[in-house]
Parts: sequence; structure tokens; C-alpha cells
Amino acid sequence: MSHPVKGCGIGLRFQHIDTIVDSNQPIPWLEILTDNYLLPGSVQQDYLFEIAEHYPLTFHGVGMSLGSTDPLDTEYVSRVKALVERVNPAWVSDHLCWTSAHGVVTHDLIPLPYTEETIRHVSQRISQVQDSLERRLVIENVSSYLQYQQSAMSEWDFLCAVVEAADCDILLDVNNIYVSACNHDFDPLAYLNAIPVQRVREIHLAGYEDRGTHLLDTHGYPVSDAVWALYAQAIQRFGAVPTLIEWDNNVPELPVLLAEAAKAAEVQARVLA
Amino acid sequence: MSLPELQHHFITAIFNRDQRDAAALLVKSHGKLDAAQRVGIYRNSVHGILWQYLESLYPVCQQLLGAEFFEAASDCYVDQQPPTRPFLAEYGAGFADFLAAHPALQQMLWIADVARLEWARHQAWNAVNQAAADFSQLANVDAAQQARLVLVLPASAQLLTSAYAIHQVWLAHQPEDSPEKVALEQLELHQTQRVLVWRAGRRLHQVLLDEATWAFLTAIQQANRLPDLAERFQAQLPALLMTAVQRGWILSFTVL
Repeated sequence: MSHPVKGCGIGLRFQHIDTIVDSNQPIPWLEILTDNYLLPGSVQQDYLFEIAEHYPLTFHGVGMSLGSTDPLDTEYVSRVKALVERVNPAWVSDHLCWTSAHGVVTHDLIPLPYTEETIRHVSQRISQVQDSLERRLVIENVSSYLQYQQSAMSEWDFLCAVVEAADCDILLDVNNIYVSACNHDFDPLAYLNAIPVQRVREIHLAGYEDRGTHLLDTHGYPVSDAVWALYAQAIQRFGAVPTLIEWDNNVPELPVLLAEAAKAAEVQARVLA
Repeated sequence: MSLPELQHHFITAIFNRDQRDAAALLVKSHGKLDAAQRVGIYRNSVHGILWQYLESLYPVCQQLLGAEFFEAASDCYVDQQPPTRPFLAEYGAGFADFLAAHPALQQMLWIADVARLEWARHQAWNAVNQAAADFSQLANVDAAQQARLVLVLPASAQLLTSAYAIHQVWLAHQPEDSPEKVALEQLELHQTQRVLVWRAGRRLHQVLLDEATWAFLTAIQQANRLPDLAERFQAQLPALLMTAVQRGWILSFTVL
């Protein structure tokens, strides 16, 4: 039986594992980067099993390559499934993008063209993964720095069509919406307002870097004021959705991360009061 | 254009700078960036992720080569040998051979051997957990079984030999407060070193081995049977065996 995921948690990073294991910090929940724990019988899995005894967990992956036109990597899915069965996370998420093609893997999140062909392809792949895992998948919107010539709809229309066709849930990354809105000059509120409330299972917050010509989603900074404001709007629309602070570069000390999570909880409390 | 074709153009551009313009035809130019620059963001992002990963695997090589050279080498390596599996921890095995073949490093081939040591540490860390056998059961093995007895190293055990002082070089590039820190000026680079890396629980160990111990553990790794070990190591065998068991270099035994 997995622990229920509520409130505002943080992404588990290697730098903090010993501190978390040793001090039993009061953290509402933790999200693991699934890909870091897929070596069967490894010391990483050892740590994970120990942490799973004390904290509610969710799994967040980058390797499913849901939008790729290569065959689904069944070894990857099998390893995720084995770990899911062992740890029983509250849910499993990955990204609405592609990470590999023609046998080459980028380990990065590349956006998809927003077309009917892509909707059919990705929703079939998501269904295939859901059937394999015997669970609903939660799909995250990615930051993007380009738009394809052949895209025929907005990102939010594309996301809504995919989750409807695949009958999966949404991990709404509010920072990614803001970054893409700035990079592609759309209204982030239009995006938020198009998302079906009942499908939003989780919200992500992170910090971006302003490169002058574009915003880059580096996960290396505190959440920006603009994203906090958008998050308040999201909570207004979606309610008390479990929210996670992601920080992957220049990872700060644990108290800094926990303070960001506490700030998210304050926003929720203020908006929903 | 179909989705497979689009992905083909794009992935080719990510791992080949010269193909960027072909991928840029698929992308809208708008705002402060043209289409080629937008494709370039993804090339840089992918290379940045893999460079950071390689830097985390090869921190001593990064210090030896300098940050700028290491980043350029990583960039080139990623283009030549991009990842082909979703398991990032498997990537980077070929980096030592890449460095050994690098034209600028032909007078510094020892750096490639340091890379082999760093890869061995990575492999040892990622090896499966195993419980040690109960060696008291060895007393119950009869003579016939002894003839077929094979000792087993931990899955994490990595045996390396180099014509250079790779263990000392590695120690010299550890943090100042490291207990085994070696001063660079005390280092005699040209000496053969035999190194064992293994993991015990959540700790990674790395030790220098003498010639006999290295030969003994290598023979075990090659599944030599006990009688073969006895013939080869003669009077040294009991001491070699005892040390290896005590240090955790032998994990278990099996009768074939």
C-alpha cells in the first residue's frame, strides 16, 4: 500500500539522500527520477527501498520516449514496471515529447509537432505503456524553444487531445508553461484555462534561466515571481493539487528546497482560504 | 513530412553540427531567434546534459585535461558515439579509448588509463548487491568437490593494470581533506600499477595490489579451479586466499 501523496514535496536528488535517510526529515512526499533507479539490485535501488519505507513517493521518468517513432523500448518499460511493483508509487509520470529516434537516445526532452498524426501516435504509445504497467500514466508538458512548421494547433489543444485519446492524467508543469509562453509569445492563462481540471494529478515548479533571447528551463534557480503568480492562478483553477519543487542544477542544501516547497504550500493555503 | 522523417532530420542535426540547416527547415523562425538557432538550442542542451554526465563520471580526467579541453573532447565524443540506450549509466564506456585515440593526447596516453580507472569505479558502483557466502562451509567440501571448486569475485570487482601510476594520479586529484591524498610532486608516473576496485555495501574501495595478488584474483576471475590455483601459487596460496576472503575480494565459492 503506497503512502498518500498530499501537499508540496521535493524531487529527491543524490546530494540529499544521506541527509534524508539519516535525519528522517518531515517532507510531505518525494519524487524520484525513475531513470536513476533502473539498475536491478543496485545500491541506488537499495537507497530507494529504504526511503520508500518512510516517505510517500512518485516516479518521474524521462526515458519512455513516448513520442518517438522507434519501437517502444520494452526493456525500459519492464524495468520501470518491476520497480513500480516493488515500491508501489502513488503514480508514474513521463513527458509528452520524444527523447530518442532511429536508435539514438538524446536523454533530453524534444518537443513534438502538434498534428493529428502525432496525437494518434503518442496516444497509442501511452496506451501501450499503460497496458504494460497496468496503471494510468501521468503526462507532463515540456518547455520548448521551437515550433515546427507543420504544427496545426496550440500546445494545449494538443495536450488535451492526447490525454483524452489515451485516457491518461496530466502533470502540469507551471514553469514549463511560463517558459514556453515567453518563448512562443502566447498567453499562459489561455493554456491553464484549457486544461481539464479532473485530469491534473500533479503540478511541477522549477526555476528557469533568462538567456536574453529566450528562457531556458534549467531547473537551476528558485521559482521566479512570475511563475509563483501563475501557480496561484493554477491553484485557483485546479484546487489543492500535489505540487513538487524540481531542482537539478546547482542543487542547493536541503533546507533551501524545503523552503521552496513550504512557499508553494503557503500559496495553496492563501489561494484556497 | 511524416513524424519518423521529422525525427530523423532532427536527431541527425543534434549529433552533427553540419546538418543543422536541414532540420531548421522544419522549424519556424520568430522572435529573437531564427530556426537554425532554435535547433541549436537543442543540440547544445543534449551535448550539455551528456557533457555534465561525462564530467561526473570522469572528474579526475576533467582536472587533468582542463575544463575547456574536456568539454570540447566530450562534444566530439558525443557526436562520434551518441547514446543508444535509455539507461544513461551505461553510457561513456568508450570514452577512454576515445581519449587514447585523440591526436592531442598521444604523448599523454596515461590519461586514457586514468579514464579506464574512473569507468571501473562507475561500473563497481553500479554492480548488483550481493550477500557474501558463509566460508565456514568450505570445511565441508570433500576432496572430489575441491577438484571442481571455483572461487567467485564480487560482481563489482574490477581489476586493472597500467604502465602508469593511475592509482596515485587518482589519489592526487582527490579533495584536499582526503585521507589518502597524494602530493603531485611525489608522484612517479612511469611505474606499473595493478588496481582493484570493488564495492562493499554503500562504500566503493580502490586498492593497489602486488603482482601475486593481482595474478591470483585474475585467475579467480577467469574461473580457474582450486587445484589449478594451488599448482600455480603453491606455498603462497593459503596467505593469498586468507587475505582475499578477509578483505571481501572473494564473495563466494561454487562447485562446478
